[in-house]
Amino acid sequence: MPDVPQNAGYMVAAYIVTAVILLIYAISLHRRTAKP
Amino acid sequence: MSLAHKGRWITLVGLVCLAGVYVRALAFTPVERLQGPAQKIFYLHVPAALWTEAAMILVGLAGIFYLFLKDPRLDRFAAASAEVGTVFATIVLTTGPIWGKPIWGTWWTWDARLTSTLFLFFLYVGYLLVRGAVRDPRLRARYAAVLGICGLCLVPFIHLSVFLFRTLHPQPIIVKPSAPSLPGSMLATWLFSLAAFTLLYVGFVTQRYALSLARDAQQGEHADHA
Amino acid sequence: MGDLLAQAWAVARKDLVLEFRTRTALVSAVVFTALVLTVFNFGRDPTAVPTVDLAPTILWVTFTFAAMLALNRAFQLELENQALEGLLVSPLSRTGLYWGKLVANLVFVAVVEAVGLPLFVLFFDVPVGRVLVPLVGVIALATLGFVAVGTLFSALVIRTRFAELLLVVILLPFLVPPLIGAVQVTARLLGGRPLSESVGYLKLLAAYDIVFVSLASFLFRFTVDE
Repeated sequence: MPDVPQNAGYMVAAYIVTAVILLIYAISLHRRTAKP
Repeated sequence: MSLAHKGRWITLVGLVCLAGVYVRALAFTPVERLQGPAQKIFYLHVPAALWTEAAMILVGLAGIFYLFLKDPRLDRFAAASAEVGTVFATIVLTTGPIWGKPIWGTWWTWDARLTSTLFLFFLYVGYLLVRGAVRDPRLRARYAAVLGICGLCLVPFIHLSVFLFRTLHPQPIIVKPSAPSLPGSMLATWLFSLAAFTLLYVGFVTQRYALSLARDAQQGEHADHA
Repeated sequence: MGDLLAQAWAVARKDLVLEFRTRTALVSAVVFTALVLTVFNFGRDPTAVPTVDLAPTILWVTFTFAAMLALNRAFQLELENQALEGLLVSPLSRTGLYWGKLVANLVFVAVVEAVGLPLFVLFFDVPVGRVLVPLVGVIALATLGFVAVGTLFSALVIRTRFAELLLVVILLPFLVPPLIGAVQVTARLLGGRPLSESVGYLKLLAAYDIVFVSLASFLFRFTVDE
């Protein structure tokens, strides 16, 4: 039985990138819709 | 509670849900034996891809109804769905290569989902550019509707061409990135993630819609003063 | 129906007469095609990659550029002469106008392709003779697809800022399915494969044409009317 590949780094990178994109957009919307 | 406010709350709930998905996926879902931990990117990548496509379909449908009903609310919704769809497309197009590199050995392959999302991304960009290039709101809504409808009709052709290309050009895929039948625990995580992305779509669209509404109201005031 | 055809022909004839009278656009497009083919010819190493592998792509990139040129010049004419306003005031049906524009654009692109194809055969020494009829058929099918959508979008961008740039950007995703079909079928034809191997792609091309010609013809009125 071959070893499980050690590629957790990629997983972490993808999870961080996704969170960053979503948070940036959420903050952008929050600021744009704030009452002036 | 104003629309923007409601939108913010839904988005917040969505983000909290997503945080839950992160915890569950990273710590409590088993590692896939063949692909290793990188397979877990799947839990973010696929729901985002589904909503990228759904958002485009909704843009197109809103366009169809707009041309017949001329209701500006439909146009505002279309604009919102397009912007949110673009954000989700960005997620798919960044997580895709990050997933692809360890699994396929290359950053990009003409994988069915990635290729379709790439073209959806181009459609979105074109749509947003057209919206940005037209001043008059009614003209803009009409043009956007036309483009949105064309985009909607293009989607099946993109899938068809990619399907034909791939079946007649077998790619050397060692591991199929999306397992057709997921064991229970993985399926639950995936569904949880889909719910999170759904909440995020609804929350984001609501806020973006509220933004359009506010802008249109402002322009209306200026028109009165003019 | 007869009325529609008469109107379409009137519009097409006006555009074509204008075109052939000045001939500058046509000559530029032809020269451009020859240039592109020449550049590709010098850009490749015949000992590294067999010509017949690259040939379909080169042919179709060239034809796509030619089609883009045709579409750009089509509405340059409109912009310069403000002819569109004049046409809209006339008792011309919108659909007739669309078909007229479509025919004119098709003729223009066809002339450029008719010059481009022999040049292509000459420069790249590809065995076209036996498959000439199916090849011309594929060229016709794919070209109809591009130009149908492109004619609609030309009308759409005409009143926007950065119109020419916008036209290319929004058209790009729509070129992909016919392009994939065209390149794949051309490759198979030039490679001496039986036509049965291309059936999937041919169906794709035909379906695309049917859907988008009808759709564009229907949506055209929304790009020019209140």
